[in-house]
Amino acid sequence: MMASKAIVVTGAGGVGKTTVAAALGVKAASQGKKTLVLTVDPARRLADALGVELGGRPRRHPELETLSAGMLDSAASWITVARRHADPEVADRLVTNEFFEAATIHFPASQSYAAAEEATAYIESRKWDLVVIDTPPAAGGIEFFTAPARMSELVGGRLLRLLTGGRIPGRTALFNRGAKPLLRFADQLLGSDLLERVAQFAMDLRTTYDGVSRRSRAIEGHFRRAITLVVTTADPAPLSEAARFFIELPEVASAPKAVVFNRTLPADWVGAAIPPRTPTALADNLRRWEAEAHRQRDARNGFAARFRVPLVTIPWLTEDPTDRHTLEAVVDEASAWPALW
Amino acid sequence: MTRLILVSGKGGVGKSSLAAGLALAHQRAGARVLGIDVAGTGGLAAHLGLTRLEFKPVEVKPGLDALTVDRAKALIEYLQVQVGIPGLATLGPAARFFDALASTAPGVREVVTLGKVIWEVLQRRYDIVVGDCPPTGQVTGLLRAPRTVAELVPAGRIRHQADLMSEVLDSSEQSELVLVTLPEELPTLETEETLEVLAKEKLIGSTMVVTNRVLPPLDTEAKGTGVVAEAASMHRSLYRRQQQWLERLPPRKTFNYLFGLLTESEVAARLSEEWGE
Repeated sequence: MMASKAIVVTGAGGVGKTTVAAALGVKAASQGKKTLVLTVDPARRLADALGVELGGRPRRHPELETLSAGMLDSAASWITVARRHADPEVADRLVTNEFFEAATIHFPASQSYAAAEEATAYIESRKWDLVVIDTPPAAGGIEFFTAPARMSELVGGRLLRLLTGGRIPGRTALFNRGAKPLLRFADQLLGSDLLERVAQFAMDLRTTYDGVSRRSRAIEGHFRRAITLVVTTADPAPLSEAARFFIELPEVASAPKAVVFNRTLPADWVGAAIPPRTPTALADNLRRWEAEAHRQRDARNGFAARFRVPLVTIPWLTEDPTDRHTLEAVVDEASAWPALW
Repeated sequence: MTRLILVSGKGGVGKSSLAAGLALAHQRAGARVLGIDVAGTGGLAAHLGLTRLEFKPVEVKPGLDALTVDRAKALIEYLQVQVGIPGLATLGPAARFFDALASTAPGVREVVTLGKVIWEVLQRRYDIVVGDCPPTGQVTGLLRAPRTVAELVPAGRIRHQADLMSEVLDSSEQSELVLVTLPEELPTLETEETLEVLAKEKLIGSTMVVTNRVLPPLDTEAKGTGVVAEAASMHRSLYRRQQQWLERLPPRKTFNYLFGLLTESEVAARLSEEWGE
């Protein structure tokens, strides 16, 4: 059996990515596909609906046995990478390095990379027919997909090459002649041996290169074979971000299969006649929402014309899904989906 | 004294539109304002009706300039002008070297980015500097950067620069962080967590929570029929749910849901009117 099929759900923050990913997972599972949903920081009730424990590894849904759900650890990062790809001794030195914790926070690609590595491990485990992945919002959009390349570049020693002027040296040759004026200059500026400590860190990190670059290529392969879906609302900011995905995603993953417009108002509100003797407050209310429905329709049509892509619309739900049935309804109430599994 | 107002919030809450609206409101009130795209997402430019911003300030309209923090240029300016190393432009390898350092050493990238913002504050060319910042997940790291650097670098010019930055950020008269949120579950929880971190670590002089996209009440008990009833019922459900979150995290100011607006600059113009009130 090949690796599991994967659907990667992406889009701007706050548009309902996690809900869409969860709903698709529930739907596929209820149609008999063995499905794993991987979410990132779901809302409490959504986590309950999926039967996922916060911070937990994948577990079987209590009622729907074809469904499992787990959370990608959005805080995991270089610690995971170091433990996985460095010798135990080097890994210990790495995770206790003063730069390590700060670097974890300050290099968001490391968090995306760790999440991508974790997700692809599940795809490769072949325990499921389908793995639905919700992308982490922390690093922002496209960076989830570019993280493997950036991580390889970083641990591959871009910093080290600059520190040492070319070759990747042994520890004793670290501060070779070519680099010395720069090093003196830096020490004068920083007033400490900061640079040496950074170099030690970079050197240790370099030992993870073989592992990280191999995994990165594998992850990129999975991204290219996966089905990608871009979720958005009709609001200007998420729409610009959705457009960015359509332009940039084909470079690093598969081209989006569809754009999913969440929080869509009923099409028949546009141009709806208001019956006579309707109270003013209610008439005003319909006109407000009609203007909104109109704007949404224009935004959808504009997007579809620009990118020539299948549109899926999900109605604006006034209540969050709280169990697997209301989650499944999110998929059922949407307009036609392209074939996903 | 130039005031610094930083705007952040969870992704998707409307940070850039409120930052642009705030800059426009102060400009209309007669202040000299500089808007800075600190996040580097281009959102501020779009909401100011421009296609892009440059590292050098451009005039959006009389009294309002804007710029974006280009990291490579900011790094050179930081080393040359702020830290005071002359002739760095001719030191090509050194600039690349520091850029590489910035990728690994904690806080360097943030100090360079935030350094540009605070540099503009210290120049006193404007009355108010408004920064459109990265989302809450990253903004605490940004604000923490001067201290991270101070911990790692015991002396020297970079340390001195970091201390100057802390001084501006710590002043409650000078610096404020506006946290934008929505009356929904996840933005509310994330804002609460951020407020806790900010208070515990005393990362900025003062903070203010504002809630965006708040629906007005429906001033009638009537139900209506057909589509009218559908719209009314939906509005009431959304309104009730919003009120629960507003009670949980009472904002200093609320901004109305803007129905039917199409472009970013229309949205920013409307929000600037609301800021003005």
